[in-house]
Amino acid sequence: MSNTLKRKRRAQDAPAPGKRRLVSEPDTGHGTDDQASAENADGMHIDHEGESDANLDDTDEEGEDNRPDDAPQGTRGTKPKKPPTGQLLRDIREATDLFKSSTFKLQIDALLPTVRPKPSRIPPLDLFLHSLYSFLTSLSPIAPQHPLVASRKLLHDSGVAVPFPLPSPTEGTNWTVAFEAPTDVALIGSWPTKCIVKRTDGLPYIVDVAVEMPAALFQEKDYLNGRFFHKRAYYLACIASAIANPKNGLDVDVSYASTAFDPRLTTVIIQSRKDGSPTDFSKLNACIRIIPTLPQLSPLPLHRLSPSHSNVRVSKSSDESSSSTHPPSPLYNTAILLACTPKSHLLALHSVKNLVPAFADALTLLRVWANQRGYGEGSKLCVFGFEGRGSWWGGLLEMLVTGEEHESGMLKSTKRKPLGKGLSSYQLFRAALDFLARHDFEKDSIFTKTTAGHNHPPGEYKANHEAVFVDSSSYVNLLAGVPLSSLDLLKYDALVTLNLLNSGLPSIDPYDEVFLKDHRTVHTRFDAVIRAELSDVKPRKPSLHSSYDHGSWGRAIIASLTSSLRHGLGNRTKAIGVLLPTSELRPPSEAQPNNPSTIYIGLVYDTEHAFRLVDHGPSADDPDATKSQQFREFWGDKAELRRFKDGSIVESVVWEVKSTDERARIPFMVTQHILERQFGIPKGAIKTWQAPFDAVLRLPQSISTLYQDSGIPSGFKSATAAFDGLVRSIKSLEGEIPLSVLNVSPVSDYLRYTSVFSPVAVPTSLFATLPDSARHLPMIEIVLEFEKSGRWPDDLKAIQKIKLAFFERIATALMKSENGTKATVVVGNCVDTPEIQDQARLEIVTPDGWAFSARIWHDREATLLDRIIDEKSHISKRAPQPFDDGKSKERTEALLAREIYTRRFIHGPKHHRVVAALCHKYSAFAGTVRLVKRWLACHWLLRGHISEEVVEILCASVFLQDRKASVDHPSVPGSKERGFSKVVQFLADWEWEQGLFVPLYSAADGSLDNADERQPKVAASASTAWTVTTEEDPGGRMWTTLGPDIVVAHRVRAIAKATWGTLQTMETGHLDVRELFIHPSDDYDVIVQLDQGALPQYFQNITADPEAWARTSKYANIPNSNSGESVEAQPGFDPGQLFHDDLKRIYSDTFKLFWDPCGGDRYGLVWDPSLRNSRPFRALGGFSSTPVPKGEKGKEKSWVILNEQSVLSEIKQLGGGIIKDVIVQH
Amino acid sequence: MSEKQTLPTTLAGFTVLPIVYSPTSTHVLYARRHETSKNSRSKTQSTLPSGRTVFLVNIPPFATEREMVLFFKPFGVVERVVFDWEGVDAREAEPDSSDEEVEEMEEELEQPQPRKKRKLVKEEKKTAPVVVPLPTRPLRTLRKSGGSAHVVFLDASSVDRALAQPIKPRPWPAVPEEPSGLAHYRAQYDALRPPLDVVRQHADTYMDLFDYELAKGRQKSTYKKGEAIVDEDGFTLVTRGGAYGQTVGGGVGVASKKFQETGETSKRKRKKKEAKEKETFYAFQKHEKNRKGLMDLQKKWEEDKAKVEKLKASKRFKPY
Repeated sequence: MSNTLKRKRRAQDAPAPGKRRLVSEPDTGHGTDDQASAENADGMHIDHEGESDANLDDTDEEGEDNRPDDAPQGTRGTKPKKPPTGQLLRDIREATDLFKSSTFKLQIDALLPTVRPKPSRIPPLDLFLHSLYSFLTSLSPIAPQHPLVASRKLLHDSGVAVPFPLPSPTEGTNWTVAFEAPTDVALIGSWPTKCIVKRTDGLPYIVDVAVEMPAALFQEKDYLNGRFFHKRAYYLACIASAIANPKNGLDVDVSYASTAFDPRLTTVIIQSRKDGSPTDFSKLNACIRIIPTLPQLSPLPLHRLSPSHSNVRVSKSSDESSSSTHPPSPLYNTAILLACTPKSHLLALHSVKNLVPAFADALTLLRVWANQRGYGEGSKLCVFGFEGRGSWWGGLLEMLVTGEEHESGMLKSTKRKPLGKGLSSYQLFRAALDFLARHDFEKDSIFTKTTAGHNHPPGEYKANHEAVFVDSSSYVNLLAGVPLSSLDLLKYDALVTLNLLNSGLPSIDPYDEVFLKDHRTVHTRFDAVIRAELSDVKPRKPSLHSSYDHGSWGRAIIASLTSSLRHGLGNRTKAIGVLLPTSELRPPSEAQPNNPSTIYIGLVYDTEHAFRLVDHGPSADDPDATKSQQFREFWGDKAELRRFKDGSIVESVVWEVKSTDERARIPFMVTQHILERQFGIPKGAIKTWQAPFDAVLRLPQSISTLYQDSGIPSGFKSATAAFDGLVRSIKSLEGEIPLSVLNVSPVSDYLRYTSVFSPVAVPTSLFATLPDSARHLPMIEIVLEFEKSGRWPDDLKAIQKIKLAFFERIATALMKSENGTKATVVVGNCVDTPEIQDQARLEIVTPDGWAFSARIWHDREATLLDRIIDEKSHISKRAPQPFDDGKSKERTEALLAREIYTRRFIHGPKHHRVVAALCHKYSAFAGTVRLVKRWLACHWLLRGHISEEVVEILCASVFLQDRKASVDHPSVPGSKERGFSKVVQFLADWEWEQGLFVPLYSAADGSLDNADERQPKVAASASTAWTVTTEEDPGGRMWTTLGPDIVVAHRVRAIAKATWGTLQTMETGHLDVRELFIHPSDDYDVIVQLDQGALPQYFQNITADPEAWARTSKYANIPNSNSGESVEAQPGFDPGQLFHDDLKRIYSDTFKLFWDPCGGDRYGLVWDPSLRNSRPFRALGGFSSTPVPKGEKGKEKSWVILNEQSVLSEIKQLGGGIIKDVIVQH
Repeated sequence: MSEKQTLPTTLAGFTVLPIVYSPTSTHVLYARRHETSKNSRSKTQSTLPSGRTVFLVNIPPFATEREMVLFFKPFGVVERVVFDWEGVDAREAEPDSSDEEVEEMEEELEQPQPRKKRKLVKEEKKTAPVVVPLPTRPLRTLRKSGGSAHVVFLDASSVDRALAQPIKPRPWPAVPEEPSGLAHYRAQYDALRPPLDVVRQHADTYMDLFDYELAKGRQKSTYKKGEAIVDEDGFTLVTRGGAYGQTVGGGVGVASKKFQETGETSKRKRKKKEAKEKETFYAFQKHEKNRKGLMDLQKKWEEDKAKVEKLKASKRFKPY
């Protein structure tokens, strides 16, 4: 059959190359080119592509060469190009109308050949298949024997075990097994129909060969108690031993494979050895799978195999209900039916493929899409239930094309109508996604339209299967055994992809995201990833029958686990992914497949419900007592009768949480409880990674207890409350200050939930008792705005002085009105700044111990600064300005001051507002930002190189990826861990050269649809690499002017890649979260080790050593007297930061400096590599140099080189009391 | 490591002055006699008298004036130290108006010529209110590494002594009153937070002075047409800003602001003209238009194709 198909294909293709040659013959130069490509591409797909290539090239060339064969046009000359031909126009039209866009079509066209077998490598396989055919049909029969005797003999003779599934035959069985040469050997599945799609992770193509077992081997009663499977197993074992026999000349490797760990579906896999013989098909990366099938006229009665029939009637004492009736065995029945279906599936596939031209391409796209999301086989974790479901994807498309069967008595409109046959592959693919995204598998069953009606009554399927999808051949439910939770996940993936395709924004090219990107990584896919060891599983209600129905004990456990979780988690999750590794091949000496020992459970939260504290059950006065009994049975001792505020008394489960961190863990607690209660999996065997991520954002135990013991307020809520209180007291100063305060805007990340550590108030009394390395009082920045007044001086310097006066008034008034408040005017920055620049601050420490730092925003400053900058505004901007730019110091200062002004007063408050809004909108956003900030800080990049604001914007981009998505859209991370993973992934892949647009502001307003796309087109410059634009900042440099530069941007990418790699170890269970936050310092040229005692922020260090402060805090009640200095709270004082800033400024041209602003106790230095080579002396070199010793390589006298030693000595000198050691590494 | 014995005594006309930081590290100071070119001599003569000034390169970033004085004490008495040309140009001016252009130094050190000194002569200063300064502590100013300075000696012979070779490496003198390291930062933290009454006094007196000067300025000013702007090459720039639509300094009239900004005169007329022409009046125009559409379509298609080809080359189409 395959051969005939192939011939047909060739015949169709034949005209194409001929036509092409005709056209392109005149031009020799092009002809060779074309022929070369034709030689490469012998197969149909590449042929097809070559054809369109040729078409294009023709027109192209005709234009350029003025068509030597077409004289009239050639003479025209003025027209360099000829309008496109009709064919080309049709192609273009088609691409844009039938596909998303022409680029998309071309990309799909390029994708398809890469996932299909190379035609040039097929012939050896065909040869082998021929020999296999003759080999199998000429096998000699084996006389009937008792199954155990036969299997022992086979094991003894050839070392091949018989994979008898449960319930195994016993000595008492009174039937026999035998072998006879197959009545037919045929290619089935997707190989002969050319619909085969490459599998992920380099797994080989599978060529299915159906071996038809002679009907004479079976009896009518064989459908009972696995007898059919035992006979099948023996038959298979005989074939395996025959093929494995080295004397037969086939020279191949034989192994067993059990699809999805189901021993009933065991098959024989043949792999070619690499021996270079004509039948060696190893280059194709394919294997042959031998599937024993039943003849078309089945010896078993098909009506006995309908889903409601019970065919496993085990005499058991454990199942008490079995005394009267046997429960149905739908999966068992399906497994038998699968032996009858291959041929009818093949026929159906073939006919629909002939009917719909784009079917094969659409199926390929769909399967690539599914494979990328783990709905298939691969060496990574795959979604439970989809292994070996190749026929389902084809069946799905078939259903879409042919429509659903009309149910008698039902309204027509509820059923799906057939789609047109002329759809393009992309349209069909989309239709499939649309179906997956919208169909409710739990409620509705699908029956594909058939010609003769369905074999079994539809109701029976519904009653016995979780999801129903019966194809046109109408034997089996293609979704038998696929859990609903996996279908939820599929639905959600389809939804995400559909949204992406529908986004319709011209700048987004969804192709990569849809087809090329691997979406199987668990940590970006799921909000919580839970790993459970199944080795100690002890189900509460072990059911023998369910084991028989599922084929093995392990499968039964996983299936029941999946449904329990779905029931228990309820609407907390949108989807639950139960992930398993794909079943592996095993040598034929092993009869049974190994059950998976660990499973992964991925939860996608529904953030609205996920963290609910109480699960409600049935009401106490429910007349149906079984309901509450079931509830209690399910939850065990967690279930209790509770009376609620509204007076109702309801069975409920309450989850106790102590902190917000724990609250975020509720879904995990539920999962853990169910696994423990229902399956006896001990707590130790269940692992998740949430807690270590939480720990990263928390202070060391010894410090946090210090805080807690003193009962000081902490947390974002109390910080906000303290801010509100301050605003109130400032506003109440009405009469005491000359102008009334119009606005107080917060600009601190402590007030927008995004600071790494939650804010804390440190009253002076506590401050004194804190150890040196924890005497940190975080500063919360705010901006004051006064009412408009004409009394401000019209001079920049005077304005700065007036600010001082204002601050002085406010400070005095505040201290007078609020007892215990301490207010100080800070007259400038640590570095000398030009007098026109805003520099004064007011530091306020409230009686509770909150520290605020206020600045005054006066909008006149902007105008005055602009006036200086635009001093020559009377000169046309179009005219060249030869003597203006960069020469005037005043102008430079004004430019800097203006930049600071804009960032501090215009964008700062705006940014704060929008980020705070996002934090409210997306529950996981704040946590994500905090994790990412911590991560960047731990890698010595935050603040020094990457501003916190840009981190917030980048994190927002991950949440706003799907721009039309609503808040609870599944692609929006529901947990901070997932958000973190997504940001890391983004940073690892981001091509920052192209910039990024984040619709931050419209997202917060909820007016996303109106946001027009403004993709930045700014190239990276030497000093700044990232361009991140928002609606308010079209230039995209507001938060990136101070870095990262290109070197650092590359470093971010490298670190993100490394972190991404480490995150992958989650899939093997070895992930150590702290490892992600530990910075390797080997790359730095010099490490400056600081004295931990001198750093008030040291306690925030990720690897903080409690010893550092244990020494000094022995006597908690005696104030720490640090060399007789006062213990007044020094808000914001951090010598580590000050010294860092100084070094960075002093040696800006000498080295790059890195450090962790969150408690880092080391600086990393990287010399400017160009300075380490000698260079000619320049008076203003900007670095500390030393003459190159004379006579070295005959260099000139006046060459100098960086004086590293002296620079290091200077650093030591500058950092006396802060530096502990300077370690030179390179 | 550049050891002492291998250090040359001179480098590109500079005398090498080694400073011993520690037994293993030596900082190198480059010194040269300060010379001024003729045309700028008059301006800087007062600040940096050419005879007794030494020009230093690569001073330690933490160097203070006192330390410099101490370091050069063996050669003679230092009158003044000027870092990074600070205040070279406007030394005479008052501190509050001393921010006029400081010449940005390029390589041409031979002419460290402060340019265009603004002539601000304010004799009225004497009567002006005095600003109460904010308290300052002896704080080190940390300068950028590799900076330069001028040391002015009291007499010319010191310069010769300072530049005499060879010079023995000497340690850098440390002044205890000017702390460094942690103490420096503590002092700085405190210095930035002066007592409130001082802040108030400072702000008040400053504003008094400001008001005083403002009033003074108002008295002096009478309406002027402004001075004509003459650029470096001696051309007078014709610009707006003068009275009655005339150029600054009087003379010819100037174009409107709008014309300057956009380079266009009134739009109205042109628009009318454009509207008259019909784009699809003649059949050939229609053809052309259609044809252009098709060509564009084809062009885009080919561009897409090229793009995809390019991606193909980078193996972007292999999903797994």
